[in-house]
Amino acid sequence: MSEIQIESSDDELPEEVAFDASKSAALKSVKDVLEAAKREKNSLKEKRKKRQQLFQEQKKRKRLPQELLEEFDKEPQKQTGPSDNKGIYKKVSKTKPSDNKGNNKTPNLLLYLYTLFSVGQYQMTNNSLTDKTKTGTTAKKISKSLPDSYRVTRIKDESAAKSLQQKAVDFIQSRLYGPGTIRTTNAELLSLRKKRGVNQGAAVGFLNKKLGASQKARIARSNKRFIRQQKLIPL
Amino acid sequence: MGEFKVHRVRFFDYMPSGIRALAFNRDIERIAVARMDGSVEVFHCSDRFFQEKIIPGREQCGIEGLSWVGERLFSAGLNGGITEYDLTNQKVKYTVDAYGGPIWTIAGNQQGTHLAVGCEDGTVKLFEVNEDKIQFERNLDRQKSRIISLSWHPSGSKIAAGMMDMIQIFNVETGHSVHRLLADRGVGTSRSKECVVWSVVYLSDGTIISGDSVGMVKLWDDQTGTLIKSHNVTKCDVLALSVSQNEDSLVAGTSEGTVVQFQFISMVLGKDDKEWVRTRTFKNHTHDIRAVAEITTAVVSGGMDAQLVVRPLLDKVEVRSAASALRKIHFPHRRLVSCARKSGLMLFQYPGHLELWRLGESEGKGMPGSSLFVKRNPEKLLHLKVKGEDHIRCSAVSPCGEWIVYSTASSLRLYRLHCDNNNVSITKISKLPMVLSSANQLCFSSDSSHLFSASTQSSVHLVSLSQSGCKFVGTLKPKSGERTIGFGVLHIIEDGKWLASANSDHEVHIYNLQTRKAHCTVPVYSSAVTAMGIHPTTNCLFMMYADQQMCEYSIEQKQYTDWSRMVQRKGLHRFWMERDTPCLNVMFNPQHPSHVILHDTYMLCIIDQSLPLPDDKTQFYNQLTLKSLPEEQRKSHSHAFKVCKTFKDILCVELMSDQSLVVVERPLEDVASQLPAPIKQKKFAT
Repeated sequence: MSEIQIESSDDELPEEVAFDASKSAALKSVKDVLEAAKREKNSLKEKRKKRQQLFQEQKKRKRLPQELLEEFDKEPQKQTGPSDNKGIYKKVSKTKPSDNKGNNKTPNLLLYLYTLFSVGQYQMTNNSLTDKTKTGTTAKKISKSLPDSYRVTRIKDESAAKSLQQKAVDFIQSRLYGPGTIRTTNAELLSLRKKRGVNQGAAVGFLNKKLGASQKARIARSNKRFIRQQKLIPL
Repeated sequence: MGEFKVHRVRFFDYMPSGIRALAFNRDIERIAVARMDGSVEVFHCSDRFFQEKIIPGREQCGIEGLSWVGERLFSAGLNGGITEYDLTNQKVKYTVDAYGGPIWTIAGNQQGTHLAVGCEDGTVKLFEVNEDKIQFERNLDRQKSRIISLSWHPSGSKIAAGMMDMIQIFNVETGHSVHRLLADRGVGTSRSKECVVWSVVYLSDGTIISGDSVGMVKLWDDQTGTLIKSHNVTKCDVLALSVSQNEDSLVAGTSEGTVVQFQFISMVLGKDDKEWVRTRTFKNHTHDIRAVAEITTAVVSGGMDAQLVVRPLLDKVEVRSAASALRKIHFPHRRLVSCARKSGLMLFQYPGHLELWRLGESEGKGMPGSSLFVKRNPEKLLHLKVKGEDHIRCSAVSPCGEWIVYSTASSLRLYRLHCDNNNVSITKISKLPMVLSSANQLCFSSDSSHLFSASTQSSVHLVSLSQSGCKFVGTLKPKSGERTIGFGVLHIIEDGKWLASANSDHEVHIYNLQTRKAHCTVPVYSSAVTAMGIHPTTNCLFMMYADQQMCEYSIEQKQYTDWSRMVQRKGLHRFWMERDTPCLNVMFNPQHPSHVILHDTYMLCIIDQSLPLPDDKTQFYNQLTLKSLPEEQRKSHSHAFKVCKTFKDILCVELMSDQSLVVVERPLEDVASQLPAPIKQKKFAT
């Protein structure tokens, strides 16, 4: 049966297809493909552009403010005496080596900063000084135009031993009083003793006026302020 | 008889500081206590736990451990140094830096040759104890986590070190770790936190006992390095362990405030197989217990609630006496308040500053026991901060109220006070004589013209005060031929012509101030002097001792008075001897020459030397009974001791020149409300 059907489809004359239609169809398909390729290229280009812009902005954010850079460019060898270096030490902080985003500006900047700070006794990490300055804890008064929010501390003044002692104290404090421990207040302890004791009485918070006096005073002040603001009491 | 206007003072906000470490010395029967503010105190165990010596601390000084080596006392702290104390002069001898970071623990071996310290960087450092100093010998193998606790094996060949999550056993000779015992972390949320082994104890048969932050007391075997038994004692941390001398009793202190005792006994009577069994629980504390000590006849414990609790073990006590009762020591056995008797001023001594207050005034009369209307409130005149980091050792204000002096371990400062009605100003006297560099005790003469300062050599320096400043006048030394080795002087009292000074060796010397020579010495008694006073008219020295005995010594006749001999013959009443706090002040009333006013922490007492002494059968606290009797019968029933128990937690009682009494109280609830946070404990029906 199938042979007959095939035969019948084979016996028929082929369809008349105009040359133009097929030509246009073929051209169209080619054009489509070309356009798709172009669009793809364009979109990739856009993406790359956006990426590049983003990187530029990040780079900009990480760099020192423009004024500082200009200052550095102008005066590379300003301070050499130890007394002058007092104002320009930078705090040491932990940074990961991976933070070092390569930028052709930073090696020069680092070079300048190293020459500035070459006289003196301190430690410095070898990268991402720019990070630290952006956080606002460094570089005070290298020039008078520095904003006041920058602060400089001497490495020598914070000896390692003191911070170790503080860490040890914090360890004990967190093990005994930190999260994971079930602690209550002294007021509750005394109140429970009164409740279960021989001469039973009220909780110490009601009897002892001095307990929590500062909190009560603060609440009273804020109440007064609220009443004044809302004008609840007619003047 | 005794009608006084009483100023009840409660504005002295004295906060005792928590106890961090205890160390018991069996040979000399002293126990050393280290507090959180860096001060070290030495208590005499057989003298009713009298506080013999106080070495004041300094700012930023965290002591973590104490250790006796022979008769020398060493401490180690978070500042990384090992400190030796000069106990005769009550100060720090020297500090040696261990260069290992903060030190968490210090332990001396039984042979008394070496000290081991456990540091934050994971090393156990060995120091050799020489005659005059200690010297670093070597490090044992360095470990990865910090060393929290140490214990020597009694033979001195091995050390057990408690660290984070594990215990390491070191061989001291080679320095290598022999065994590693791993401590479990606990269940539930505490699995993520490391288990801290807070203390270890190494017994002579090779058993290691450890207390950790999960609340378990674990017994380990050091030959095989395995766990033998573990006891779950509490749900919070076990912070301290202590084993007795003959290793049959162990006490563990927990964060909840309970002390648990384990004893090495056999479970079946008569059988020989002994094991560690949990026997008793003592609940004498409300806050964390940071240190315990097992002293064979008693268990001493101390913690963040700043009280030292001595709990006698009644199966070890032969005779039931006053010494075998529970004893709680809250306040120091020194006077922290000095009063300017003529001008109504009071000086409060805090560790880091001084406060000068003027007493208020009242008006009107009232019935005994009632409170009078206050016309003028007490006011704070001066808040004087100490220069430097040391804490104040002693201070005094002159009776006229014009001079203030205080001394730290390294310096002494004298100030002149100008007090108009509203303006208070002080000027510092800058040119002080060289001898006044530091003092153990300070005292002004009653006419405020001289200052007496006790130095380290058991002698007293005399300095005259005037408008222009102060000038060194002389030194009072005990008679030559007697021991003049430096003993810290504890008390000085002065009475115009005579000066009496008691030193820590229980010797009392009396000096004649006009000739500035030693007059005589009171016979030495076995107990320490807690308070002294010289009677203004009869010139008798009245002394109170730590075992509650009292003595009266006539200075001119150089012998005990008849009244004193009668007291010794008859003996004191049982209730008087059973008091557990020492008398801190002896005063005389000019209007009633036969009265002596004494006080201790819980009572105020007037002794009338003209009345008969009570014997054991008479009622001792008979004030209320006497009130109910009619006038004629009172005389026949009254005896010499009149005790008033109205005031509690007394720090100081003084008789001012206008016949009013000042009682400085420090209620213990106020102290308790300012302590660190305690552990939450669930109690039935709350």
